[in-house]
Amino acid sequence: MSTTSTIVMPGERISAIEELAKSKRVILGPGLRRQDDTVVASKAGPLRHKEPSTFWVDNYQRRYIPARGDLVLGIVRSKAGDNYRVDIGAADTASISYLAFEAATKKNRPDLNPGDLIYARVLNASADIEPELVCVNSVGKRGKLGVLAEGFFFKCTLNLGRMLLRENCPVLAALTRELPYEIAVGVNGRIWLKAHSLRETIALANAIVALEQSGCAEIDKICDNLGDFLQA
Amino acid sequence: MFMNSNLFEPGKSKPERNFVQLAVKQNQRFDGRRSNECRDVELTFGADWGTVAVSLGETKVLTHVTCDLGAPTTSRPNEGKLQLNVNLGGVAFLDEVQSTHDQRSLTLNSLLERTFRSSRCVDLESLCVAAEQHVWCIRVDINVLNHDGNLYDASTIATLAALMHFRRPDVTFADDELRIYTEKEREFIPLLFLHYPVSVTYCIFKSSGQPIVDPLLLEENAADSVIVLSFNSYQELCTLNAGGTAPTNVRTIMQCARNAATRAKSLVDFIRKALSLDEERRLQGGRLVQGLVALIGENQQKLSFRKLMGHQKQEPQDLQSEKMDVDTKAIAKPRVEEMAVEEESSKQETDAPLDSSSWLPQDEDSQKLPTPSEASASKAGKGKQNRSKSKANKKQQAKKQNNSDSEEEAKPVI
Repeated sequence: MSTTSTIVMPGERISAIEELAKSKRVILGPGLRRQDDTVVASKAGPLRHKEPSTFWVDNYQRRYIPARGDLVLGIVRSKAGDNYRVDIGAADTASISYLAFEAATKKNRPDLNPGDLIYARVLNASADIEPELVCVNSVGKRGKLGVLAEGFFFKCTLNLGRMLLRENCPVLAALTRELPYEIAVGVNGRIWLKAHSLRETIALANAIVALEQSGCAEIDKICDNLGDFLQA
Repeated sequence: MFMNSNLFEPGKSKPERNFVQLAVKQNQRFDGRRSNECRDVELTFGADWGTVAVSLGETKVLTHVTCDLGAPTTSRPNEGKLQLNVNLGGVAFLDEVQSTHDQRSLTLNSLLERTFRSSRCVDLESLCVAAEQHVWCIRVDINVLNHDGNLYDASTIATLAALMHFRRPDVTFADDELRIYTEKEREFIPLLFLHYPVSVTYCIFKSSGQPIVDPLLLEENAADSVIVLSFNSYQELCTLNAGGTAPTNVRTIMQCARNAATRAKSLVDFIRKALSLDEERRLQGGRLVQGLVALIGENQQKLSFRKLMGHQKQEPQDLQSEKMDVDTKAIAKPRVEEMAVEEESSKQETDAPLDSSSWLPQDEDSQKLPTPSEASASKAGKGKQNRSKSKANKKQQAKKQNNSDSEEEAKPVI
């Protein structure tokens, strides 16, 4: 991914991609749109590029738009028949079946109540029907998915969630050097955290929220602050 | 389902609630404050009279006062009108459905009504131009721009500051002719006040006996009960709003009330100081804050509570730390026998007047209170923690007994 990026505005024609498209296939990600022969941005933000030829706009957003395969954090809202209704921050509430948990049968239902937090994968996402979640993988094992019982949970922008999940993101590694913790990042802009003590968890949460303003570049500074705070 | 379920308030899910309860138990807060520490209050006066922006951390409220001549009500023909208008549009994103939005605005509105109108803080009779014909109608628009907890305090501070800052044009009424003077002809007149009320908010959690002042939104939503107390600068109670499910005893409420009274006093002092600074600035012809963005953004004219009241803050803090000492002492040595407790409590009783709250008359009916203290004692047997807490309770109780009748005294004011 290129680090130097240009800011594009909605409606802006991006000729660089058009040029590239003449010689090879390009993939247009979120925030970019093809209109006949031209490529036009539909969102405002820095234009990102991933080799060989993927482009997207990394815009500031808090509204999550479900996409198949995304890992999300949801809050159980209610029970509805054989489903739970789960708030994942999208325009629509998602549903998750009783049977979409590990070792769940018709008799042996999972014990979820309104207000519980679950880490789930989006199974199905379409503009016209509500998203569907699962808490198991294709072989019926839960893996890292399921109910998150303890710990702290907060909301952030989608950008921050995406940034933390990037492969080359230095943030989580740097924080690990300061203290051990568990984290679940949903691409819907929700983060769940758990450290050994409550104080550590709060410190960590504040450090991650601070990242939103400062960006990755200042991670060392934040880690220093965190270290100082925990020693104090 | 609903358009904005993502931005749904913090503090509503179970992990958040549990975590906040736990945090309160361990005396930890999310911004590193202590339980009795408030956020900094920042005031900015706009170019127009009666325009004030207040920020309490991330909670931001903009208040604007306007006036107009109108007819009085038939029931009070010689009194002006004071209208409070709350606009919560700026934080509509927090609400999922209309009903929660309505409720939020209703609670805030009723608090403001009771704090400013029912307590009759503005001298409305001075706003009468001609009885039964012309009176001034003062309208306060309270615009909530951002909500990060404790909207109550932010709005009462903003409303009070705006009302105190506001000036109305002079007017004469002769021969059935109403004449309003411009600022050039005659100087504008500030409103007359009978007293200056301001509110202080506390959150109470089931997991801890210690109330939390100036809660964040997360804390406020996770709290078992929220207590809002309005005090004026004479430390008289104007409004008490206590709801929720946490079992609050008299002791807790009195403890809150005492701290709130001091806090309210210093807040009013702060507003006064800020007003005089603003006036100085105006006299010097300094640049005024123009426009909305300048008002709520970073600017030089921002007046911060901590900076302005820096030297005065020392005093209440000493008082608080003293209180804290008492608590920690009780927790530090949990294995004292009941007898010792009694001894201590009696000792406490003797030096209880240290609270120096002259507004609370010394009472004689110390018999009235044993019931709650006994109740807490009977609960005590469960463990160290519990016992030490009950001891702390007892101490507070003892302290409190001296002040208990102030509650009755306060009631008629409500």
